[in-house]
Amino acid sequence: MNLELFDIQGIVGRGYGKHPAAAYLLLEVESRVLARRWLAEQVERVHTCARAPDPEAPCFNIAFTHAGLEALGLDAEALNTFPSELKEGMTEPERSRALGDEGGAADPENSPRNWDWGGTAAGQRPVHLMLMVFAPGDAELETAIAEASLLLGPGGLSLVRRLHTSLLADQEGGVREHFGFRDAISQPGIAGLHRATSGQPLVPAGEFILGYKNAYDLHTECPRVHHSRDPGRLLPPAEFGTHDLGRNGTYLVVRQLGQRVRAFWQFLDAVSRDPNGAANPERRVALAARMVGRWPSGAPLVESPTADDPTRATANSFGFHHSDPQGLRCPLGAHIRRSNPRDSLDPAPGTAASLEVNATHRLLRRGRTYGPPLSSSFDPDEILQADEGVERGIHFICINANITRQFEFVQRSWINNSQFNGLLDETDPLLGTRRLPSGRPTDTFSIPGCPVRQRISGLPTFVVVRGGAYFFLPSISALRYLASLTS
Amino acid sequence: MLPQSTLTIVAPIQPAEGAMVALRDVLAEIGRDPAANPLLPFGDLTGLHYGRFVILDGAVDPGSGRTVASSLAFNCCVDGPADRFLDHLTQKAGSGLWAVFQHCSGAPGPGEQGELLAWLRRHRIPTQTFYVNSLGRAVPQILKEAQLRERIEDFLDREEGNTTAGTSPASVRTAIQQFVRGQNDLGWALRPEPPLPWAWRLRDGLHRIGGLAVGVLLGLLALPFVPLFLVLLRCSEINAPHPRQDPHFRLSQFDRRHLAPDEDFFIQNQFSVLGFIKPGLFRYATLRAILSVADFVVHHFFRNGDLGTVPLLNLHGVDTIHFANWIVVDQGQRVLFLSNYDFNLEDYMNDFINKVAWGLNLIFGHGVNYPRTDWMVRGGARDEQVYKAVLRKYQIRTQVWFCAYPDLSAITIQKNARLRAGLFAELDPAAERDWLALL
Repeated sequence: MNLELFDIQGIVGRGYGKHPAAAYLLLEVESRVLARRWLAEQVERVHTCARAPDPEAPCFNIAFTHAGLEALGLDAEALNTFPSELKEGMTEPERSRALGDEGGAADPENSPRNWDWGGTAAGQRPVHLMLMVFAPGDAELETAIAEASLLLGPGGLSLVRRLHTSLLADQEGGVREHFGFRDAISQPGIAGLHRATSGQPLVPAGEFILGYKNAYDLHTECPRVHHSRDPGRLLPPAEFGTHDLGRNGTYLVVRQLGQRVRAFWQFLDAVSRDPNGAANPERRVALAARMVGRWPSGAPLVESPTADDPTRATANSFGFHHSDPQGLRCPLGAHIRRSNPRDSLDPAPGTAASLEVNATHRLLRRGRTYGPPLSSSFDPDEILQADEGVERGIHFICINANITRQFEFVQRSWINNSQFNGLLDETDPLLGTRRLPSGRPTDTFSIPGCPVRQRISGLPTFVVVRGGAYFFLPSISALRYLASLTS
Repeated sequence: MLPQSTLTIVAPIQPAEGAMVALRDVLAEIGRDPAANPLLPFGDLTGLHYGRFVILDGAVDPGSGRTVASSLAFNCCVDGPADRFLDHLTQKAGSGLWAVFQHCSGAPGPGEQGELLAWLRRHRIPTQTFYVNSLGRAVPQILKEAQLRERIEDFLDREEGNTTAGTSPASVRTAIQQFVRGQNDLGWALRPEPPLPWAWRLRDGLHRIGGLAVGVLLGLLALPFVPLFLVLLRCSEINAPHPRQDPHFRLSQFDRRHLAPDEDFFIQNQFSVLGFIKPGLFRYATLRAILSVADFVVHHFFRNGDLGTVPLLNLHGVDTIHFANWIVVDQGQRVLFLSNYDFNLEDYMNDFINKVAWGLNLIFGHGVNYPRTDWMVRGGARDEQVYKAVLRKYQIRTQVWFCAYPDLSAITIQKNARLRAGLFAELDPAAERDWLALL
C-alpha cells in the first residue's frame, strides 16, 4: 500500500540532518480560538514527507499532548478514543513507577516532581503543544521562530519552555552523543518510505504511522471522531461511521535526558585502573565500549571485538546470536543489545521468528543532543579535566504507533529489566535504574568472558530524566481538522 | 524434590452490604504486607510458593441471563499434599483465616478451629488444569540455590584478578568448589538435590502410560464424530458475537488504572482473569475436555520450565510462567485463570500473542468476547489489540498476593538449579565452559 506522503509530517520520514539548527517550543494554549487561528496558518507551513526539505528554508512539525487536544476544543468522545498511555500521560503515578522514573527503583532526581517541564510539581505549566523547528543555521532558526511567534499573536499560545538543541558533529561527519559515542546509526527503515539499507529488514509502516498495516498485519487502533463532528469531511472515513483522526499521524515520546558525562568517565576511569593505580586509557575506553556495544567511532563490538575500527563506524548489518551467543564480544547487557536485541531473544534466537518479534518493538529515534560538549574532541582525558558547568544531554524523541508495545516495552522489559536475557541484578549500563522497587540493587554490569565473567559493581546513575511527555503527531488533514474546530 | 499441589477454596460472600466492604478492608490490611502482617503472615508458612485472595464479583451471565453471586477465592501452591498444608494453615493462622472467611456465607464462628477446617475443606474446589514451571522444585531448594549463586558471584567478585584471571576454566571451577566446600552453611550444595520419591515416580509413570492409553482409546472412539464436531465448532465460531464487530470493544475504551497499583513491584507479577464460558453445552463440554487433556499434557510433557515448546511442530513456548491454574467456577458458568509470571503485563501478553497464541485459543477461545478463532487454534489472540482489550476487560484485581521468591524469574531459578547441579558433577571441558557461563 502506498503511503500518503503529502499527509504525513516530515519528521516521520527524516531527522533533518541537513538542518543542524533546531529548537522544540513547548507551548500552552491560552485561547483556543486564537490558537486554532494560528494553527490554521501554521499548518500550511508544516513540512511533509512528500518532498525533500529545502536546504535553505526552515521546516516545521507540530505535535499535541492529550491535554493540548482538549485545550484546543476536541470533543470528549474523540478524546476518549486515544490510547490510555496518551490519555493518562507519562507522569501518571503507576506509569512513572513502571518506567523507573518514580518510586523505590528510581533515582529521586528522575521523579516527575523534579522535572523541568511536563512534571507534576505544583505550579508547573501544562504542555499542550510542541512546535519543532529545524533550520539550516542559527540565524535562520531565530528568524523562523520569530515568524512563527508573529503568527501566534498575543494571547493565543504562550511559550512554556524552549528546548535548545545542538548537534555534536565529529570529524568523521557523524553525530555523537555527549558520552562521546557515535549515535543514530541504527534506525528502522519504514516499508514504503525508506529503502532497505545495510541488510536490516524494513519494518511495516503501521509500526510508525497510523492507518497502515503493522507488524501483526493489523491496523493499530486510531483515534476517531463521530461523523457529525466532521461535517466538512476533512478526515477520511473510518469503521462504524466514524472519521479517522489518526490516519497518517503517529505518537511521539519526548524525554529530556540529562547526561552526567564527567561522572560516567570518572567511574570508568576508577574501575579500569591498573593494580598499581595508574590510569589505563585503553582499558577505560574498552570498558565504555562494552557498556555501549559500539566503540566511540560507532564500530560494533560484534564485528570489532578488540579495538575500535572507524571503517566500520556505521556497520549495522549484524545479528548477535550466531556470531556471539554468549556475549563474549558484545556483552548481553550492553546498551545496544538491550535496546535493540535484533536476533538475540525468544522465540528462537538467531532465526527469522526472533527478528519478527523484535520488529514489534522498534523505535524511530528523532532526538537531538543539547548543551555544549564537555570536550570538543570527546577525549576522555580532557573530559576528566573539564568542569561540568552547564546541563547537557539529549532530547530523546521517538516515533511509534503504539507507545505501550514500543517505547514503554523497550524501557521496561529491556532497558530496566534486571533479569533481561538471563542476566541478573543489572539494568542498562547507561540508562538503567540502579535498584529494584523492592530495594535490591541492580547496579552491576557483567562482561562475559573466558574462563569466567567479569562483573563491575556500584554503577551510579549516569542519565537523569529532566522532563517528558507523550504527544500525538497528527496528519496534515488532522491538523486542518483541529484548526477548524468550533466548540 | 517434592511434587507441588494446588489448593483452591471458593466461598460465596455474604449478600449483606457490609460484608463486602468489611472483607475488602481485611484483605487490604493483609495485602499491605502479605509476608508479615499479623493476621495472616504468609511468610511464616512452610512450603508455600505463593498464596492469593481474589474477590470474584457477581455478574449476569450474558448467555443464560442468570445472575452469579460474588464469592471469595483463596488459591495457593504448596510443596507436598494440599490437605496437609490446609491443616498447617489452619493451625498456624486460624484466626486470620477466620477474619477473612467470616464474611462468607455459612462460615463457622470464631475460635472453632476444627469446624473452620472442615468448612474450608467443604469449599475446596478442583483445578482443572494446573501448570507448574518445574515439577518438584520445592521452595527451600529455590531459595537455597539462589543463595548459593549469590555467594559464588560474591566470591568471584572478590577473587577477580587473583585466582581466576588468566587461568583455565577447570581451575576456576576448582576454586569455586573449594570455596563452597569451605562454607559451613553451604554443605547441602556438596550433594545434588534428591530426586522425587520413587513411589511417586512410579505412580506418575503409570499415570502417564495409562493416560496415554485412555487418550488413544477415547480418540479412536471419538473419530467418527470428528466431522460433526468440526461442523458444530465452525458454526459456533462464525455465529458467536465477536468483539472486533463491536465499536465499543476497543483497547482505548478500557483502562487498567485499577489494576496497575498491584503490579510491577517485583520481577514476578500476579495475573487473575475471570470470564464467562460461551453459552451452550457444546462449548462447555469442549472446554472441559480440553482442560482435562491440557492438565495431563502440561503435567507430563511441559514440566521443565518451558510451556508449549514442541520442536517437532516448530512451536516455541514460554519460559516465564511459574504457575497457572484454570479453574471452572460458579457451577460451570465462569472460568478463573490465575498465574504468576515474570516481568510486566505487556511482556506477558506479547508472549502469548507471539508464541503460544494457539494454546491460548484452544482454551480461552471458549470464553465470551474472546477474539474470533478459526478452527480453534488460529486467529484469536493474534488479533493483538482486541485480545489485549479482552484482557483489560476481564482481568480482575488480586486483593492479596504473596510470593516466596518474587524477585527470581523462572529463567533465573532454572539457571540457579543448573549451577548447583553442575557444581560437583563430572563435566567435560565443553560442559565446564557452559557451566561457568551460567555465572
